[in-house]
Amino acid sequence: MEHHHEPEGRPERERPLRSADEVGPMSDREVPLVPQSTVDAPDAIHRWLDGELPEPTGLRGDAARSVEFWRRLGEETDKRRRMMTPAHLPDKIMSALPPMSLPYNAGMPWYKKGIRLTTTSAVAVGAALFTMGWIVARALVAR
Amino acid sequence: MKTTATTSPIDQLEADQEIISKVLAGDRNAFGVLIQRYSDPLFRHALGMTGSPDVAEDILQMSFIKAYHHLSEVRGRFDAWVFRIVANGCKDWLKNIRRTHLSYEEDDQPTSYATPEEELDRTELRDDLDTALLQLPPSLREAFIMKHVEGRSYEEMADLLGTTVGALKMRVHRAREALQALLEEKYA
Repeated sequence: MEHHHEPEGRPERERPLRSADEVGPMSDREVPLVPQSTVDAPDAIHRWLDGELPEPTGLRGDAARSVEFWRRLGEETDKRRRMMTPAHLPDKIMSALPPMSLPYNAGMPWYKKGIRLTTTSAVAVGAALFTMGWIVARALVAR
Repeated sequence: MKTTATTSPIDQLEADQEIISKVLAGDRNAFGVLIQRYSDPLFRHALGMTGSPDVAEDILQMSFIKAYHHLSEVRGRFDAWVFRIVANGCKDWLKNIRRTHLSYEEDDQPTSYATPEEELDRTELRDDLDTALLQLPPSLREAFIMKHVEGRSYEEMADLLGTTVGALKMRVHRAREALQALLEEKYA
């Protein structure tokens, strides 16, 4: 996948492992994936990774190793974040697009298009016809 | 040409709608602008979810063709709409993979870990991360990729996935814990 990497990518909107997000409630809606005994990342590390706290310092043992682990993984996810679509793909997609399926009457002059009658337009047309009929009737009576 | 626009979401929405109008009016080539504008994050998502550049390309191609066919149905943000098409494409692919009994857990697990003395290069970490990601349940993998690879905020993720920030934080935290459990022997 090396060929998908580009060293100088577009400006980053947000660094992946250092983003700032608001603190929110944590609803427990999912089954834990791993036994709790193997989960040793303290909350401070999660909050650091969520961008809520600066990188924890002065940690020892497992916690210190966790910080080092995530720093290292962060370098890898940063690289992935600069990964770009293979150059040939947009052209490949464009050439695979079918001819534009325009609406059947697109491009036709208005007088050749079919009539789509809605309730509102039906009432309006009815009222107009009634008025015209009334005017014609009045004209005939006046004679 | 890639866009490096720093426009506001409203400007972006209007710009996208203008392009969509052009495409719907018959300017097929205008669709290429939307592809250029949004293919990178979508490709990263598909690649992260499937672990295969070829599959990611196929999903992206199918998704954009589907988007083209249904372009008149876009309401609101095009990027969010097309993201959902790609995300669903990834999930469908994962379902089909499971149906054909291909097991990543068995086939793609690293067979041996390097000794601590060995220098670990980028390729190795990348491959190990790919393998570990593929062992996560799709919902955790999706949340981790959106957060750490795509660099999205929890609010944006919640908007795109139709869930809560709290639920997504929990998924990301669990994904981290699972990844650490899978990789710490070698890298911590």
